[in-house]
Amino acid sequence: MSSFSTTAIHGTVSGHDQHGALRQPVYDSVAFEHPDARSMEMTFAGKKAAHAYSRISNPTVSELEDRVSSLCHGAFVIAVSSGMASISNTILALGGAGSNIVTSPRLFGNSLSLFSKTLHPWGLETRCVDMTNPEEVERAVDSGTRMVFFESMTNPGLEVADARLLAGICQAKRVPLVCDNTVMTPYLFEAGKAGINIELVSSTKYISGGATSVGGLIIDHRNFDWSHAPALADTADQYGEAALLHRLRHEVFRNLGACLAPHNAWLQTLGLETLDLRIEKSSANALAVARFLASEKQIGSVNYPGLADNPYHPIAKEQFKNRFGGILTFDLGDEKRCFRFIDSLKLIRRATNINDNKSLIIHPASTIFNEYNEDELTQMGVGAGMVRLATGIEEPNDIINDLKRGIKSL
Amino acid sequence: MQISINGEERQLNSEELSILNLLEAEKVEAPEMVSVQVNGRVVNRTDYEKHVLRNGDEVDFLYFMGGGR
Repeated sequence: MSSFSTTAIHGTVSGHDQHGALRQPVYDSVAFEHPDARSMEMTFAGKKAAHAYSRISNPTVSELEDRVSSLCHGAFVIAVSSGMASISNTILALGGAGSNIVTSPRLFGNSLSLFSKTLHPWGLETRCVDMTNPEEVERAVDSGTRMVFFESMTNPGLEVADARLLAGICQAKRVPLVCDNTVMTPYLFEAGKAGINIELVSSTKYISGGATSVGGLIIDHRNFDWSHAPALADTADQYGEAALLHRLRHEVFRNLGACLAPHNAWLQTLGLETLDLRIEKSSANALAVARFLASEKQIGSVNYPGLADNPYHPIAKEQFKNRFGGILTFDLGDEKRCFRFIDSLKLIRRATNINDNKSLIIHPASTIFNEYNEDELTQMGVGAGMVRLATGIEEPNDIINDLKRGIKSL
Repeated sequence: MQISINGEERQLNSEELSILNLLEAEKVEAPEMVSVQVNGRVVNRTDYEKHVLRNGDEVDFLYFMGGGR
């Protein structure tokens, strides 16, 4: 088996461009022609390796899917239009009225909003528990649970649950374990090996190669018996390990229409090739910045699992190959001080994204989480004094020197 | 042994052939990424080596990823 970077660059499936181009072209075509009616029938039945219509599949998008599948040891992969689309497709394929999802109150705000607001009127119950407390998770799962959903590292709380413990619970309860692995990516966290059944990734972040495009990935590690999933009971007998993939490709994903644009797939395949280099750099930057901020008296507290005194340091170190990602938060007391700090920066950009090549800063409570009231924010662990910094791949001293401007403004 | 592969009748020299053998004989690229259906049922990839094909089996390679490989 090749190393991550070699597989990311070359894949295991050879592409054969008619001109010998080392970078495959962008197939910006909606429809694909078939040599005869029989061939067309076989393509629609999924029994011929050909494309029909780009909302369902496209050669440029397939190249990205194949490359990710190679990195994830042959997992089934569907590339979608955004990280949120990867979540909505998955929950709509597995959940339904009268069912519930067990998850964390510390999720990324838009994910929690999807579950508890958008899907609530359709009959989905969202059960929020502490994912770092396995007993609490176990108690919440019952016969109506369609998935346990957690983030490999929560954003912006930066909590880290023990994935293997959660996998053990889900295996015993015969419920799929779904992990949003956006913050750590398949490079730092091999979700399938940890027992995660479905891995979801916003490829907008690290994979896109510098925030070039919006996209998402659904990665089915082919390690769940879908006959235990009520929504797939009818198809599991025929499609076995491919039951979820079948339901997505031939119904949910096809019908929702959240397909990835070929041009975005091309950009993300390119980004994938340098994923490891950029993560290594931004993780090292985050650690250097966290250590600097922790030494500054005017900074209230610094939250970064890479710091030895962080409560999640031991489990993060074990799960994520001694890397801790490119996000950290720190506390400045109140919104006014946060705004003053943010507005004094000259290098770090004021923007809502993570894992750009550029370092980005945001005040989560007044932006990403502005739909929630004070009590809800407290439950979600998003304080008025919290600032989130997503480190880019600049030189660490330049980031630190900019932060010194912020500290001076306090 | 005679089997059908994606609707086409095929005569194979071997009398005992696993799914893995068939994928290799058919020179399928990245066989770990392929879904194989035998007589209308998908076989889990962990069983590719031990699942032996029989005369008259209908084998389908499924392309959920939309092909391109």
